[in-house]
Amino acid sequence: MNKLLLAFRNVSRNSFRSGVILASSALMAGFMIATNLIIGGAQRSLQLALERLGADIVVAPRESTTAMENAFLMGKPASMWMSRSILPEISSIEGVKAVSPQLFLSTLRGASCCSSPEMFLVAYEPETDFTLRPWLEEHLGEELGVGQAIGGYYVFLPADQDRILVYGYPVELLGNLDGTGTGLDKSMFFTFETAYEIARLSPFQAVEDMVIPDDSISAVMIKLEPGSNPVAIATKIEAQIPEASAVISSNLFQSQREDIQAMLRTISLLLGIAWLLSIALIGLVFSMAINDRRREIGVLRALGSTRGNMLASLLAEGLMLALAGGILGAVLSALSVYLFRNMIISSLGLPFLFPPLLSLVGMSLLGLGLALASVVVGALFPALRISLMDPAAAMRE
Amino acid sequence: MISLQNVSKTYILNKKMVVEAAKNCSLEVSKGEFVVITGRSGSGKTTLLNLVAGLTFPTSGKVLIDDIEVWNLPDKELSKLRNEKIGFVFQFPSLIPSLTSLENVILPTIYGSKFSKEEAHKRALQLLDEVGLSDKIGSLPRQLSAGQQQRVVIARSLINSPDLLLADEPTSDLDEQTEHEVMTLFQNIHQRTGITIMLVTHASELVTYGSRSVRMTGGEITEDRKLFTGEFIPA
Repeated sequence: MNKLLLAFRNVSRNSFRSGVILASSALMAGFMIATNLIIGGAQRSLQLALERLGADIVVAPRESTTAMENAFLMGKPASMWMSRSILPEISSIEGVKAVSPQLFLSTLRGASCCSSPEMFLVAYEPETDFTLRPWLEEHLGEELGVGQAIGGYYVFLPADQDRILVYGYPVELLGNLDGTGTGLDKSMFFTFETAYEIARLSPFQAVEDMVIPDDSISAVMIKLEPGSNPVAIATKIEAQIPEASAVISSNLFQSQREDIQAMLRTISLLLGIAWLLSIALIGLVFSMAINDRRREIGVLRALGSTRGNMLASLLAEGLMLALAGGILGAVLSALSVYLFRNMIISSLGLPFLFPPLLSLVGMSLLGLGLALASVVVGALFPALRISLMDPAAAMRE
Repeated sequence: MISLQNVSKTYILNKKMVVEAAKNCSLEVSKGEFVVITGRSGSGKTTLLNLVAGLTFPTSGKVLIDDIEVWNLPDKELSKLRNEKIGFVFQFPSLIPSLTSLENVILPTIYGSKFSKEEAHKRALQLLDEVGLSDKIGSLPRQLSAGQQQRVVIARSLINSPDLLLADEPTSDLDEQTEHEVMTLFQNIHQRTGITIMLVTHASELVTYGSRSVRMTGGEITEDRKLFTGEFIPA
């Protein structure tokens, strides 16, 4: 028999009070963790996508930047072309360190010549590339050859096959990049040479030709010299090349970032309102429960419980419930977000990457902290009031 | 041992209604006395007991236990005094519903340091045996009759070996037979341990169980006499 056991017994006795506080704590913690997971997951995903691109500025044909962003983020294939002749012009701009062109292609839908329908394909130039090079150097130690590719995190070989068919051309998958939660995870990367080879052979091997217009590229990845001004250089590019649009990386996925910010504001407001309501509800339920137990509290004071003991004991009851509710909410919300992540991604139109375990633990602790704080704030006033009351007055009905 | 010096207690029920529950009460109780306080409902008996126990603050006057002025003590000291020196038996069912008989008896020991866990457990078993409930140690209060519950409360009141036992209408909810059993139990405890008892009751016939009778009327002590000698004690 000890004070903690007494608090625990009291918790299990008052099922209405316990149920309301448990549910309220579970909802608060769950709501906070779920929204943090979704928003944090989207932000992390965007950040990783930017790091994957590795460019300071991305140049795409004018009016095509949104399609390009959608291709990168959601894996929605995009086709866009501009003349390769812009490359020397960009290279000559002061502050530009490296320039690397890319081709954006796509597999066919419903065609037996393609293993995966509408897969976003990115062809890069090995001589100038700085996007994939770090990964290739670290993981393969060599350049990709003709007919070889690396895939995003979710690109797999078809069952019972050792090649992926692209326009009837068997592509060898040498490895997979780490996950970003974006469309890049469902994309495949190979060299210009492979792309041209697939295009050359497609009339003979595919139900439809793969078309790459002569001397054309889809986008240009630009790396800047340290200390140079990306905004000034992007402006200069757009001024010199009217058919191109230059997006600095900090502005890339801007609409998605704005969506996340708007969502964050709305959720913060809702969370604040929910927190206040939860505190008020806990306060009310606690007051009712304490009122029902006035005599018992008076008796405990008569038996030797100090005011401090009484306050601590009442708060301990609330904290036990908040802890149990918080853990329940954390587990349920993390599980729900994990299980329904695909539905969340498609309904919000945002990329999403489940956070690493450590980050999840951090978010859960934050959610638990919020649930505990709700109970402390909500229960403090009624608990303090009864603890300070004359024992005789507390015992009087 | 107990000294009440011109103690008054006034309750303000609302802005218009003021009740003087105890008026200038003075009472000296020596160690080992069994004082039965009688009076009609609302005569101030329970208030007097609460004042002695330090459960309610006097409006005026002094309450001393062993020459210590109760209301001069800080909360921690006052709680310690209640825990170690005073045992309580209340009129209403005062057992904690979620605790067994044994746990209810042990309960006061968790607020003090007089006994170790093992000692408290052993002592609680012994006390439950003494009140005839050794077969009910695992029962919850709802599984006990009113008389059995009150006997558990009496065992609880004795767990810390108090010097003073305060009982407020301990038999009011009991039938005649159980009332006699409970009062005999108080008498036996008094004779065996020499503990000081102050027992409040509206049933004047119960004074025969005590060694001293105090009568209260309208918040005042109107009669105070020793029972065996019949000697009246002047206020």
